[in-house]
Amino acid sequence: MIMTPDRKTLIGRTFPAVKYVISEDDIRDYLPVAGEEHLAFLSDEGARAAGYERRVIPPSFAPHIAVLGMLRSFDWEKDFFLDYKTGTAMFGEQELEYLRPLYVGETLTIQGTVVDVYEKQGKRLFDVAKVSVTVTDGEGAVAVRGALSYILFK
Amino acid sequence: MDTRQKAYFGDVHEGMTIPSATYGPMDRYSYIPIAIILRDTNPLHLDRVYARERGLPDVVQQGPLNETYLYRFLTDWLHRPWDLRKTKIRFAANVFPEDLLTCHGTITRKYRENGEPRVDCQIWQENQKGEKILLGEATFTLPERG
Repeated sequence: MIMTPDRKTLIGRTFPAVKYVISEDDIRDYLPVAGEEHLAFLSDEGARAAGYERRVIPPSFAPHIAVLGMLRSFDWEKDFFLDYKTGTAMFGEQELEYLRPLYVGETLTIQGTVVDVYEKQGKRLFDVAKVSVTVTDGEGAVAVRGALSYILFK
Repeated sequence: MDTRQKAYFGDVHEGMTIPSATYGPMDRYSYIPIAIILRDTNPLHLDRVYARERGLPDVVQQGPLNETYLYRFLTDWLHRPWDLRKTKIRFAANVFPEDLLTCHGTITRKYRENGEPRVDCQIWQENQKGEKILLGEATFTLPERG
């Protein structure tokens, strides 16, 4: 039996900050897939009619930003002791708070820190790794904050 | 186009049901742009043979795309999409192509925070078999009639 190193040792680890531009391409791909049709997502005019200063993204895209930020900032093997080819990782819980709307074209910085790791027994034994996440804007102000937890099977 | 009647802060009360909404059927071709956006190359979402070798009936829809529909259930009903303030969502089961996802919500608390009208609710999403996919809580603001 292969022993997984103690993942509790990961608590406190801060992953490198990742920059993500909410690109026109990503939003153009996302809107039809998501069925998001509000005029505020389509143009600056539509956004202003809804009281936003410029074109916003759907709030439903925010979890995608948190998830893609984390996927780009950590390494499954090095940071979570998980062989991604044979191991299994799943989402546990996601908690997000939106401090302001997010705009198409803006550059965000996403950073995560492992704040807790604990073992649980379900049908199989697994670790839950809770990662706090902050999404900051170009001025360094936090736009979205929260936590994502990952289920890592042993 | 969402046809559910919108609510004002004065209209809602604790225990009230948010009108439910059903989305789907889920489409496996949606998983390709989501994989590209997330830069998540996990074959579990794209390769049916790989998924079946792992004992699954089909490819697994990406978790964030499951969340999309639970968010839309709220933000399509709210007066403005960014009236959503907080979400807390637990992943309970997988979604597969052709699934229908129905989203539900119940208001649990109505209050003001720094003068802003706030509403807390329990939300959940289930598939066509009634299996819970996502479970959680959300907070949003509603305008007052005026």
